[in-house]
Amino acid sequence: MSSDSCATSGTANETASSAPEPEIGPTRRSLLWLKSQLLVKTRREAKDLLLKILFAITTLIVILPFFLIVIQLAVTGLSGLTLDLFTTFPGASLTGGIRNAIVGTILLVLVAGGVGIPLSVLGAVYISEYSPPGRIRSTVEFASDVLAGIPSIVFGAFGFAFIVVFLNVGMGLVSGGLTLAFMMMPTVLRTTQEALRQVPVSLREASFALGATKWTTTWRVTIRAAFPGIVTGVLLAIGRVMGETAPLIFTSGNSLTTPTSILGPASWVASLPFTIWAYVSDPRPYLQVKAQSTALALLVMVLAVDVVANYISRKVTRRLV
Amino acid sequence: MMTARTHQIEVYDLSTWFGPKAVLKNITCHFSDNAVTAIMGPSGCGKSTFLRTINRLNDMIGNFRMKGKILLEGEDIYGPQANVYELRRKIGMVFQRPNPFPMSIRDNVKYGPRLHGVKDDNELDPIVEKSLKRAALWDEVKDGLDEPAPNLSGGQQQRLCIARALSVDPPVLLMDEPVSSLDPISAQKIENLIVELKKDYTIIMVTHNVQQAFRVSDQAAFLYLGELIEFDKTRRIAEAPADERTEAFITGRIG
Ligand SMILES: Nc1ncnc2c1ncn2[C@@H]1O[C@H](COP(=O)(O)OP(=O)(O)OP(=O)(O)O)[C@@H](O)[C@H]1O
Ligand SMILES: [Mg+2]
Repeated sequence: MSSDSCATSGTANETASSAPEPEIGPTRRSLLWLKSQLLVKTRREAKDLLLKILFAITTLIVILPFFLIVIQLAVTGLSGLTLDLFTTFPGASLTGGIRNAIVGTILLVLVAGGVGIPLSVLGAVYISEYSPPGRIRSTVEFASDVLAGIPSIVFGAFGFAFIVVFLNVGMGLVSGGLTLAFMMMPTVLRTTQEALRQVPVSLREASFALGATKWTTTWRVTIRAAFPGIVTGVLLAIGRVMGETAPLIFTSGNSLTTPTSILGPASWVASLPFTIWAYVSDPRPYLQVKAQSTALALLVMVLAVDVVANYISRKVTRRLV
Repeated sequence: MMTARTHQIEVYDLSTWFGPKAVLKNITCHFSDNAVTAIMGPSGCGKSTFLRTINRLNDMIGNFRMKGKILLEGEDIYGPQANVYELRRKIGMVFQRPNPFPMSIRDNVKYGPRLHGVKDDNELDPIVEKSLKRAALWDEVKDGLDEPAPNLSGGQQQRLCIARALSVDPPVLLMDEPVSSLDPISAQKIENLIVELKKDYTIIMVTHNVQQAFRVSDQAAFLYLGELIEFDKTRRIAEAPADERTEAFITGRIG
């Protein structure tokens, strides 16, 4: 509790330390700041100031798109963000809501997570805790690092060629979910490994010193201590695949309702990013608004997942040290 | 045959290596029961390695090798029929830095007994109370047993780690500089505790601090560059060290 507030006030002080007098108002303070900045005496200081401005501008440019996106979505999409949008299906001429896409995205994430998370977490535990450091470990790590950087459309093409066609699963929830699972795996694997690496060796040794086996130690101490870090990685990966269109184009199909079967055409499933893409590409003007509203909904969902991930990881760094 | 006095730890001609590097060299000694033996020596002389060889914690380190014998209750702990899990139950360990598990105080103490088959809460709860009392922590935590252990102060955490080690009733307790990371008051508490515990346990304690070794221990060992230079009653070593390197160390000239 107290250590927490201490830490936050510490960082706040650091950022505020460039403003010297705390008692005066913000306008006056910025005027004073400007004055002090203009009173440059030497060329060196002038150069310093120039660089400072340059960095400030580049930083602004870098963060600008985020705010532009939020503003643009809010301006164009907020009006369409009604309760109906979430609760009704699109209907014949797509005048209704996007319930199909919301449910679809949730189902796809459930399938992807249900398959991808256990596999990659267990894989990471095996590599980090059991396999000796060396050839196998570095090969797997290298492969997942490469995999994490592969464009999502490549996953889509792979999902189509391998799952839809070669394994003859056909398009739908299963193929789309599995393709997303493949996309999640490298991220979850690497973040889990990182979380396990952060668990101090002395914690494992305390368990061994009490007579625990390797397995008990891994399960009851190491994974437990790494758990929040693992959850964070999992949530970040979920947040990422939630917004992916490309892997789904050739694998999930699309649908105006929710899937009614596991396989076959009845398992075709809509998703938020796919819907946005389809609506934006549609000439009908009211779909443009719906696309923006859907994008806004997706953005909020992804942000929510990220905020939860952030919260967990922060809470934990505090508890473990 | 061995004169198997219960619980006594005997070390015969022990040498250890990490890869090509020899760390301990031909160590032979007997640790007396129900007494505190302090292992002193300058940094890097192999004190931690010695402790960790006694509970086979070094086994986990890939390039570790050892030669010689360590007997617990007359049985070779590195022998073919030795059970490393049972051995570690009998030889508890407290580390230099407090390392409570990231779980509640209660679960920290329950962890050990659960490993060894005590499942019933009716049995576990008295063990929790008894262990925390022996570690002189009970009064401070009895109303918050379900609080996360990492929230305790450093000194409390270390006493919790002692309670956790005691929870499985080990006849032998290894302590690797148990107070060196603590404030003086916590250190004092734990020192007193160690003196109290030696009535029931055979304690082997590594320490950097000569004064502390003299205050707490009955026997003392002086290790220097992996060799056991001196091993005797603490009082004898304090009054008249037999080797000049021991004297140099206890008067603060080396180390
Ligand atoms: N895991 C390891 N791998 C390789 N060498 C090691 C390992 N652990 C210890 N050593 C080496 O063994 C020697 C003895 O180390 P040890 O930790 O036993 O010393 P120490 O007496 O406990 O020192 P300190 O007082 O600093 O704790 C050191 O030279 C150290 O570098
Ligand atoms: Mg040491």
